[in-house]
Amino acid sequence: MNIKRSIAGLMFLGIMLTACNASTEKTIPIKHVVEIKQMLFQPAELQVHTGDTIEWINHDFVDHDITEEKNHEWSSGRLTNGQSWKYVIKKTTSYFCSIHVVMKGKIIITGE
Amino acid sequence: MYWHNFPAKQTFLAKPVKTKIMKIKKTSAALTFSAFLLFTVPLLAQNTPALTDPEIASVAVTANQVDINYANIALKKSKNASILEFAQTMAKDHQGVIDQAVALVKRLNVTPKDNAVSKKLNADAEKTKQKLNSKSGKDFDKAYIGNEVAYHKAVVSTVETVLIPQSQNAELKGLLQQVLPVLKTHLGHAMMVESNLSK
Repeated sequence: MNIKRSIAGLMFLGIMLTACNASTEKTIPIKHVVEIKQMLFQPAELQVHTGDTIEWINHDFVDHDITEEKNHEWSSGRLTNGQSWKYVIKKTTSYFCSIHVVMKGKIIITGE
Repeated sequence: MYWHNFPAKQTFLAKPVKTKIMKIKKTSAALTFSAFLLFTVPLLAQNTPALTDPEIASVAVTANQVDINYANIALKKSKNASILEFAQTMAKDHQGVIDQAVALVKRLNVTPKDNAVSKKLNADAEKTKQKLNSKSGKDFDKAYIGNEVAYHKAVVSTVETVLIPQSQNAELKGLLQQVLPVLKTHLGHAMMVESNLSK
């Protein structure tokens, strides 16, 4: 009985540890890159986890910026050719280039 | 091919006389309105002109300078925030294109060559500038943005169907291919501003 209990306990502990590890892996923030080229955000839509960092790189010869679309809560300021800008995303956000207002992108939070 | 896409003559021939007269009246009104609003005539003649690389470089620089000049008028005359933002973008982006073109022709040791197309661009631009300068307030804003929509449609068409296909030098062709999405984005932006102005 004791051996059986010990085995069951170890199995339970193993499951818990695996679950904890899996959970920890999910929350490690990572960096995503959005390239700005040919007057487009590429990819235009990106799925990320809360806390992930997005880096935008401007490859066009004209200036661009990255600005939160609804209330202009944040903005990168002008990025010239070759410049980049990083931002940590905390919620699903639509953004645009306030210099070329038809250029739009979206970051979708898919999990913690 | 360019920006006056009115009904073809064949359309009239197949219609009854009354409809035909109506159509002609409508077309005439559209033409008058178009001339009033756009102030422009096609960049190029009906027949596609044959251009050398130095001539293409000249057309590219001229076409961009023309739009910078329109933007400078808007920056002086308009008080509308959307028009001012658009004009600032036009002035900066088109100067960027000119800078790229000038750097390229220097590197290639090519001198841009004046030609029938660049001369016509300048001649039309003078007429347009006079008309824009004669307007003020909301009339100016509508006229400016209407002309920007028409001008960018024409330039996009010319770059796509004349300048890129006829460019012999790979770097010149590459630059024009880079410029094309910028022009298309400007067109979309102009159409958005125009649509918001009419609301």
